[in-house]
Amino acid sequence: MPTLIAVSGPAGSGKTTWISQFFQAAPDSPQFYLSPGLGDISVDLARIGYRFPLVQVIPENQIQIALTALPETATVYIELGFHLDLNSPFFAALPCRRVAVVPPDLTQSIWHDWADEVIPGNPALPETNWPAALLEKPPQLWRSALMGQVFDPPSLDAIWAELTGGAYGAVQRAKGIFEMPDGRAFYIDFVAGLPGSEYVELQIPRWLSGRPQRYSGIEVTGWSLDTAAIAQIILDGCLTEEVIAQYQAQVLAADPAVAP
Amino acid sequence: MKLAVISCIHGNYEALNAVLSDIDDHQADQIYCLGDLVGYGPHPNAVVEMIRSLDIPTCQGCWDEDIVEGLNACECSYPSQLAEQRGRQAHEWTNQVIHPEVRDYLATLPLTLRQDNLCFVHGSPNSQHEYLLQDMDGFVALERVLATEADVLFCGHTHIPYVRQLNHGKLSVSIQQPGQSAQSQQFEAPLKSIINAGSVGEPRHGRPNATYVIYDTETAATTLREVPYDYQKTCADIIEKGLPPVFAWRLAQGLEFAERAEDPEHVCQR
Repeated sequence: MPTLIAVSGPAGSGKTTWISQFFQAAPDSPQFYLSPGLGDISVDLARIGYRFPLVQVIPENQIQIALTALPETATVYIELGFHLDLNSPFFAALPCRRVAVVPPDLTQSIWHDWADEVIPGNPALPETNWPAALLEKPPQLWRSALMGQVFDPPSLDAIWAELTGGAYGAVQRAKGIFEMPDGRAFYIDFVAGLPGSEYVELQIPRWLSGRPQRYSGIEVTGWSLDTAAIAQIILDGCLTEEVIAQYQAQVLAADPAVAP
Repeated sequence: MKLAVISCIHGNYEALNAVLSDIDDHQADQIYCLGDLVGYGPHPNAVVEMIRSLDIPTCQGCWDEDIVEGLNACECSYPSQLAEQRGRQAHEWTNQVIHPEVRDYLATLPLTLRQDNLCFVHGSPNSQHEYLLQDMDGFVALERVLATEADVLFCGHTHIPYVRQLNHGKLSVSIQQPGQSAQSQQFEAPLKSIINAGSVGEPRHGRPNATYVIYDTETAATTLREVPYDYQKTCADIIEKGLPPVFAWRLAQGLEFAERAEDPEHVCQR
């Protein structure tokens, strides 16, 4: 019988990181990953797919079919975002082991009540000067696909610093996959309370033939987010087709071995 | 004689008022202004009117020049595509609201001011657009001061205040003409100083406080002043006037709005 493991917890607690540890080694049985509620593609789905090519990532529109046709030896990791109702009939009916990844200092929560096992994750949101009334409301999730967009790297640095520094609202979590003009793609991850942001180059082929036709995107969780302004600065940091072509030509001229 | 040197006000009337008040408290005999009266901030006309009404000797900054001549920033000015777009937005806004007589006044400003062994410029003696960064090559820094024939060069433009002493030293130059053996020449370079006044209206030192310099011509004592002011008022005015709201956030953080020099090796071509 397939093993189903549902993992939940607050934003930025380390759910994807906890799951990823089981994907590190070459699997001796089929491994699946899904994250319902985020559509057919998301930053986490894409990152898992890019990072662990042997893991089968299930898009949202194929979840029902995939779950009924699993190999007997399969292990399925189901990541449940903070925004999902854990008591919904669908999740309640899932025959799975329930794991909550929560901040170490959190001792009582809806995740504790729900889980079979509690894993200490990243620390809770540190003390901030954000108004307490703001934090009483549930955080807002804003997402945007960025497929085809290539960033001016210094602009992306400025955008990220402003976004995580609070220029467009109180950001609890931000993560994204971003394409660079030299063909590389980076995963960037910010969690309020942890030092700095994590930058990871994705081990995927360089894209050096026009606008990348593979997933990239951004997800921001927080309060009072000025989503129109965020969308605008992201666009302002993207390169034109002409500039992308110039960069790609330079990279190919400098090192023809990187040609696709 | 006690001098107060201010620079880079950038249309921030609140900051200018606070700095003028601080200068009053320190009983400076004379104020010099190193330009960039306008640009980025919400009150360019009021700032210029204040400077004119006090008859403060002022040299022309790069933003003042751009409002007269059209946008002409060097490639060294902007660290990113995003910053360049924001710089253009700020220029266009300022260009629209500036009064004709203010534009005419900015056109009359000199590039350099002198008082005895002191020289006052916005960026460098070469150009209003050139940055004299604190960690730039010592030889280039010395050349810039020697070019003015002054002992102390006051500049702004970087928005980060500093004092740099170029100590008494000996320069050796080897010149070789084709077909001739190399000839060595030596020069004595006396003590020179570069004093950067920082920025009144758009500080980039990580705090919102305005900065300027007090200089004693008798003792050469230099005091870098940091003056708190009601920056929230300027932030509110930035938003109310329709400038990019992120300028308000950056002002509150003490970060550059758009321009930032990064490369001390860069020689500005403007």
